[in-house]
Amino acid sequence: MPAMEDARAIAGWMTKDREQTTAGEEGFRRIYEATSRPLWGYLQHASGRPDVADDLLQETFCRFLERKSPAMDEDQTRSYLFRIATNLLHDRFRSREDTAVEEPGDAGTEKDEETRLDVQAAMRQLKPRERELLWLAYVEGMNHTEIAAATGLGAMSIRILLFRARQRASEFLRPRRIVQ
Amino acid sequence: MKPKDCDQLTKVIQAQHSREWSPELRQHASHCDECSDALSLADALQDAARIAERQSRLPDAHWIFEKARRRTREMAMKRIARLLAAMRLLAAVYAVAAAGWLLHGFAPTQFPELATALRGVSSGYARTGTLAALACVAAGLLLVLSGRARRRGLGSGR
Repeated sequence: MPAMEDARAIAGWMTKDREQTTAGEEGFRRIYEATSRPLWGYLQHASGRPDVADDLLQETFCRFLERKSPAMDEDQTRSYLFRIATNLLHDRFRSREDTAVEEPGDAGTEKDEETRLDVQAAMRQLKPRERELLWLAYVEGMNHTEIAAATGLGAMSIRILLFRARQRASEFLRPRRIVQ
Repeated sequence: MKPKDCDQLTKVIQAQHSREWSPELRQHASHCDECSDALSLADALQDAARIAERQSRLPDAHWIFEKARRRTREMAMKRIARLLAAMRLLAAVYAVAAAGWLLHGFAPTQFPELATALRGVSSGYARTGTLAALACVAAGLLLVLSGRARRRGLGSGR
């Protein structure tokens, strides 16, 4: 009977769709677990505010799910996520919101607190672009090509920009280290 | 003059990141001011990153997945709504054109003055217009119905 066949076809289609959704969610969960914490750290230090990092992290993953290509490998996915996050940060900087740097909650031990304050004070002195470059190079361990892909800058200019950013950051961190 | 940093710096930073040092690279890093400066900075930033990771309270992956799906559905709805609005406008334009065409047909007997005014519009032109309108309506309906079927499929997944 055609009606029965239709019903079976629809049921099959619905099951397949449900399976695809579940598989998609499983895949997403793996990506999220591997990348969400480093991404949050990047957003928090580049924006200087944990609440902004929370918002932008959600937005980054939502945009990723809406636009991702199924053919992306692990490295491409990571780079793509950082690219989305960087673009969102730039939109935020451009709209001139959140210029004040908010102090996050308790860091834990006294030494942790000291480190956090040192780095935060140095980061506050840097331009947003410099914070991004330093974080991607020294925390994420990205090479110049990967940084270029994540920031949209030319690969050739990364070396110079990174050099200047490092000089400036070292200036702000050095006095404290000498005292120690 | 362009600033120039140590040629080994990228290797040093990557070795520090992967914790895989060659003896020569370690030797170089301990003697090069540029590299040891960069290593200190990397250490400080990585400590800050570890602290930030401990502090972060991230939402559940399922929650973000659902939020993205909801947003995708809403965007699809908006696209369909825009298409429907365009079709409505097109329908209104063709209704006016059809009214003109009918008037053109009946006017010679009822309103001779109007017939003189509409003499330039041919019935063949109006027929082509009607056919184009029908094709647009059919294509639009097809898009709306297939979009609806796809949405229904997505909704049943959960």
